[in-house]
Amino acid sequence: MHDPGRGRMARRGLETLVEYASPAPSAFAEMLGGLIDANVRANPDKKKDFDALVARVGIWVTDIDEGVTLVFDAGHLTVHNGLEPQRTITIRAEAETVMSLSNLKIGPLGMPVYYDEVGRGVALQLLRGRLKIDGLLSNIATLNRVTRIFSVQ
Amino acid sequence: MTVKFGSDDWAKQFKDEVNKSSAYKSAAKGWKWTVGLVVEAEPDKNFPESRGVVMDLFDGEARDITVGSVADAQKCDFVITAPYTRWKQVSTKELDATKGMLQGKLKLKGDLPTIVRYTKASQEMTECTTRVAVEWPDEA
Repeated sequence: MHDPGRGRMARRGLETLVEYASPAPSAFAEMLGGLIDANVRANPDKKKDFDALVARVGIWVTDIDEGVTLVFDAGHLTVHNGLEPQRTITIRAEAETVMSLSNLKIGPLGMPVYYDEVGRGVALQLLRGRLKIDGLLSNIATLNRVTRIFSVQ
Repeated sequence: MTVKFGSDDWAKQFKDEVNKSSAYKSAAKGWKWTVGLVVEAEPDKNFPESRGVVMDLFDGEARDITVGSVADAQKCDFVITAPYTRWKQVSTKELDATKGMLQGKLKLKGDLPTIVRYTKASQEMTECTTRVAVEWPDEA
């Protein structure tokens, strides 16, 4: 059980899915938390992924020097300002690429689509080393699940 | 022609730039929400009163862009709020609007998945503002 008094909740009066570890979440933390909250509430498939996901995901935006850690705990997310230890996956990219990640389409079998314009852009950033994902190889299924939850498409 | 920031002429030129942009037309296909920009006053920058900009955008077209009250802008489906200096930084390409939002320099109100889905359109919209030759009140 999480402590509702610990941080701010994304929504009041509804089941709390997302909360913030800090009483003063960063704008980036609020944006990601709000985005995931809205996605999960609007889409039953994303809710299934959200309920199943247990992982600590770091996202660092290299051109604004800000990041968050998303701690998914089977149906509950706590968003921390900055990078917290013991992360399963850490994504490092520029702001534009982070926005592109949330615009990846999800294709057959729940796999992110890397062959359309947005997907090719993301793949190119990965090849050029401008998108770095620590923990990628051993956590591909987790990354795909995070991408599905994160995607607005 | 140089126009005063936040004037009716500025709004008209901004609208013309949006409607000239094929990139915006294509990226904003399907967009059907109003957007309000709130420009907060900075009296020390010769911008003494907050103003609102109301953008009626529909399916890749700017049907109307008007300058009015903050209350009008706040009634829109999406509202972006920042002080005058920040808007000037966006319009002069000193500040990237996406980064500005992630950093909380521009405050966004509205449905996040929708605005994220149209990131490209909002980037092109920002490009359109940079194409308007502006006379800034703090430089007058």
